[in-house]
Amino acid sequence: MVRLVFLGKFGDVAPASLAEVALPSDIVTLQDLKAWVARQQPLLGAAMEATRTRLIVNQCVAHDLSQRIADGDEIAFLPPMSGG
Amino acid sequence: MDVRIVTQAFDPQQEVAAFAAGRDDAGALVSFIGTCRAATGGVAVSELHIDHYPGFSEKEIARLAEETARRFACPDLLVVHRVGPICPGEAIVLVAALSEHRNNAFEVVRILMDYLKTDAPLWKKETGPTGTRWIEPRNEDYARRRQAGEGTS
Repeated sequence: MVRLVFLGKFGDVAPASLAEVALPSDIVTLQDLKAWVARQQPLLGAAMEATRTRLIVNQCVAHDLSQRIADGDEIAFLPPMSGG
Repeated sequence: MDVRIVTQAFDPQQEVAAFAAGRDDAGALVSFIGTCRAATGGVAVSELHIDHYPGFSEKEIARLAEETARRFACPDLLVVHRVGPICPGEAIVLVAALSEHRNNAFEVVRILMDYLKTDAPLWKKETGPTGTRWIEPRNEDYARRRQAGEGTS
């Protein structure tokens, strides 16, 4: 199982059912996960496609989408930030 | 260094007074307060909502503040950022810097605000008469961020 967190505008279109998911065995990397999420939720996929999306794994920035996912990971999807 | 994310309204003047109390080692105190506008581009704003990622947002803002303070040899910084629902007129963000001389204090506050606009893991949503909209940094925000330097990414 992995926990998925969707921030900002991604949170508006992400269903609660994606908060904790058992991934299919062929979803191995962050890139696989991003594509899988887009297939599950086309609206969310379109929102991610339309903007810059950063992934955070266990509170650390993922610089490489080929990073492998481990059981129990928390993975957050971040749209462009707007603080201040 | 005091970096906080708060979910309730705060009094920036009181925060600045407490931050600077007894600091006779500093010859300059500069502060910036960002507040929630009642209108953006002539369109009324009834509420601003700021989303954050608990744990990560605090960690990233602290990292930005520490790196900026080090860059400008600024001995102490205060950052208070509000999240959740915010009404027009209420403070959103306070950045205050203590320094030996004024130039570094002005610079550290200005540069840190430029970083916060584009690099702080926070997301603003405005509610107005036509509904809600998520706000993303403007091109000028990204331009200022580039001018501020790439040292903190």
